[in-house]
Amino acid sequence: MAESPITTHDPKNEEQGPVAPSPQQKKEMEQNYAQMKRKMSMQEIGMKIKHKIMVLSGKGGVGKSTVSTGLALSLAQQGHKVGILDIDITGPNVPKMMGLDGHKLHVEQGRIHPAKGHLGVKVISMAFLLEDPDTPVVWRGPIKLGAIQQFIGDVEWGNLDYLIIDFPPGTSDEPLTVSQSLPNIDGMVIVTTPQSVALLDSRKSITFAESLKVPVLGVVENMSGYTINGVTAANSSVEIAGPGGKTIKSTSDENGNFSVTLDIFKKGGGKSTAEDFGVPFLGALPFDPGFVRGGDDGVHKIVSDPEGASSIAFSAIVKAVQAQISDKPASSLEII
Amino acid sequence: MAEQMPTLVRIERRESDFHLTYDNEEEFSVTYHDLRHACPCANCSPLRNEDETSLKLREQVESFKLHKPSVNPVGHYALNFIWQNGCSNGIFRFERIWALANRRDPDNGKPYVHGAW
Repeated sequence: MAESPITTHDPKNEEQGPVAPSPQQKKEMEQNYAQMKRKMSMQEIGMKIKHKIMVLSGKGGVGKSTVSTGLALSLAQQGHKVGILDIDITGPNVPKMMGLDGHKLHVEQGRIHPAKGHLGVKVISMAFLLEDPDTPVVWRGPIKLGAIQQFIGDVEWGNLDYLIIDFPPGTSDEPLTVSQSLPNIDGMVIVTTPQSVALLDSRKSITFAESLKVPVLGVVENMSGYTINGVTAANSSVEIAGPGGKTIKSTSDENGNFSVTLDIFKKGGGKSTAEDFGVPFLGALPFDPGFVRGGDDGVHKIVSDPEGASSIAFSAIVKAVQAQISDKPASSLEII
Repeated sequence: MAEQMPTLVRIERRESDFHLTYDNEEEFSVTYHDLRHACPCANCSPLRNEDETSLKLREQVESFKLHKPSVNPVGHYALNFIWQNGCSNGIFRFERIWALANRRDPDNGKPYVHGAW
């Protein structure tokens, strides 16, 4: 490494002139310089990315990464340039869902180049840095903070229309760090399932968003209902034992086709939570085992079945998100 | 929600209060002090849980020199007010502003418990 240009000057001893800093001072100065460069880079990145959307949930296992990847792919289907930043440092799943399992990041001149997944979506994830996928990442807050800032400041995203940021569950360090590091975040999408525990935690997420001064773009209810399609005699009644032994009735059409939707985790909780807090309800996603298979196989349902019910549901949610972040004035509100 | 809230169509910033006009032609005023005391951010909200701290918050907002704030829409559902001093963090949902306009407790009598910290 070339000799550092850093020197110190003691104003009390003018005759002495510049004094070489101690190794400790030099290290601190270099760290401060790197931090300053990263901050400038984060500001620049913020300008190159038109829309930044955070995806959070209060509770784990509600399908947050599925929603993040679904939003990204649905936006890419519309022809937008999209990136996903997987901030879930301890449990990064996005690469697997995007068909990038085992991928290693390309680093050139100190800049990290994201991987490209389905539909050209750029992906950055902690998973790319793990030697062994079974090795847990055990980091305390300050180290996580540094990694997140590096993921934001040192990545060569290029120009993007949308950056989707996938977080670990809960209201911890990660969203706080991102909201303070990345300028002009459009808002948060809160993912929930209809059961009470998830809804309780979603309400915390909404309040958390307000604390961070980040707008809530809305609530998405995942795993909203599982639809069974079948064939029986034409125009006949069908009875199915639903959750809790409740009988669900349906009638087949003239061709004998019928469909019944089982509300496995109840129904409508996401919408009522959104209404309670006065934030938009973006839509409901059906319980679709295809997401599980697609996630495991690395081919998202939106890619494998772009005309399917889940893709259509995602498309509607994306439109609702876009309505929230449109550049048009919020309403006809006149402020004088 | 049982109540159908009209749409806020006009906000006029006056010397010491907002004059609000809704699309059903109802008009209200909300003082800057009342609005700032009802700030929904995580710093201000817990202070309203106890009478003593709520009073201190009130005294604090009343100590600030009156001036017209900047008003920024947040998404399609809320407004953020930027003041020259004190807290400007609160994102005020239109429901909250409607409650203040109607002289109702915007916290619905519920203590603030879902803090991030």
